[in-house]
Amino acid sequence: MATTMISLRNVTKRFPNASAPAVGGLSLDVEEGETLVLVGPSGCGKTTALRMVNRLIEPTSGSISIGGRETGEMDPVELRRGIGYVIQSVGLLPHRTIGDNIGTVPRLLGWDTSRIAERVRELTALLDLQEELLARYPGELSGGQRQRVGVARALAADPPIMLMDEPFAAVDPIVRARLQEQFLDIQARLRKTIVFVTHDVDEAIIMADRIAILNVGGVLEQLATPEEILKRPANDFVKRFVGSERTLKRLSLILVSDLRLDPPDATEADGEVIDPGATVREALDAILAAGATAIRVVDDGGTEHGVLTLDHISREVAR
Amino acid sequence: MTPGLLGQLVDWSWIGAHLTGGDASTPSIRSLLVQHIALTVIAVAIGTAISIPLGILSYRRHAVYVPVTFVSGILYTIPSLALFILLIPITGLSFLTVEIGLVSYTLLILVRNVVAGLAAVPADVKDAATGMGMRPRQLLWQVELPLATPVIMAGVRVATVSTIGLVTIGSLIGKGGLGMYIRGGLQTFFDTEILVGAVLSLLLALVADALLVGIERLLTPWTRRSDRRTRRRGRRELVGVAGGR
Repeated sequence: MATTMISLRNVTKRFPNASAPAVGGLSLDVEEGETLVLVGPSGCGKTTALRMVNRLIEPTSGSISIGGRETGEMDPVELRRGIGYVIQSVGLLPHRTIGDNIGTVPRLLGWDTSRIAERVRELTALLDLQEELLARYPGELSGGQRQRVGVARALAADPPIMLMDEPFAAVDPIVRARLQEQFLDIQARLRKTIVFVTHDVDEAIIMADRIAILNVGGVLEQLATPEEILKRPANDFVKRFVGSERTLKRLSLILVSDLRLDPPDATEADGEVIDPGATVREALDAILAAGATAIRVVDDGGTEHGVLTLDHISREVAR
Repeated sequence: MTPGLLGQLVDWSWIGAHLTGGDASTPSIRSLLVQHIALTVIAVAIGTAISIPLGILSYRRHAVYVPVTFVSGILYTIPSLALFILLIPITGLSFLTVEIGLVSYTLLILVRNVVAGLAAVPADVKDAATGMGMRPRQLLWQVELPLATPVIMAGVRVATVSTIGLVTIGSLIGKGGLGMYIRGGLQTFFDTEILVGAVLSLLLALVADALLVGIERLLTPWTRRSDRRTRRRGRRELVGVAGGR
């Protein structure tokens, strides 16, 4: 059982002159090494909740603890230096080179220059940035490059926790998909504790270990794994928010290799084949496109894994 | 202007004689130029040294901004001649009198530009810097002031050029740099002296401005590189070349 890394207990934030609280009595735990995605419509307080974790916003009431320590009792500056922070607009320092931007937190922590330079090179490689970019200024980079620099900068001092506020929202869908993939790869290796804010439920499904769906006023409607939320939405709000393609979205979380297939010779499937690493949603698309009821599952090496039928898929959906 | 007309207007031998050597009634061109530069540099340096902390304070607290711009605005509207005369009983016919006047006039321009420069620092940059754990003082020195530099330098340029012009008024109390020639020439109806004073003041203003542009470029290398890139990208889009990353 994972240990709790970040714990919000009955946290409320009421902004001056606002009639209703932005976040009202929110309680949730973020476990060590998981990616928890806060998702909800605008005005649901997801960004406010995130910014209370590193005390850029102070809660009106309630308590937040990290690793068992109350954040309210820590020096906010020391607290922030131990937490990676990525925002939608990235907020790179325009007057500093990319290398200096990545090294910001290590420099604040007083690392010596050779150690900072080494760390910057490591992160450049990790984020797949070209070394020649290090001497450039942020204004000379593309949007996608800037987002990656933002992530590299947040990872620089190797913080156990990352707070990410719509980090990929400002780039086009193709670049976003690539950044998401890359980030999932990196997270699979680093296992940081991540709180990730997005308004996009599809992004939440892709990125999350668990999703917290918030309603206006910071009310927690459901906190569960993406599969669970798609399969058993807690209420009408969640159902509506998740959208009409709930089942298809669920199928995109399951791989063909996760299902029990018919043996290779049981059915005479036609020419179409699908890789066992593909999602069931992709397999369904391929079956429908071929006008068939089944598809052969064959891997890169040409090995037959079996046959996937529409029956398998509907049984999976019904589970 | 034909050489003949210029020859009638300008007494070249007077200029030659006064390049470095003065006489009892008229100081040399070199000495007045040096005085003009010194009066300007001291005024702008002191003005900047006062305006940066005052601007920072005004930016942080609106309660300070209103009276500061009010007072510096009033100082700015007092005619320079009147200001010098007001000061004479206190500080006499001295350089101090001229400098107090000159510094007063730089304040309005400089304080406003410091405040405008700080206000123009993007909020997301400050948010990210704070979120990474910069203390307020680090944010000010490492983020806000560097990013406000282009706007502050624009104020320094305006203040410098206008100070170079104002210095000439100081000639009325005997400390006016090249303005001494303008005043002297007006009194003796000697065109050459007026022209030398006016033309050299103008040239000094142009040279000082060019010099400050150079300093600004050295201080803000990131602005040029980004501009160049943007322009390049703009051109690529114009000619329809894809993939201008």
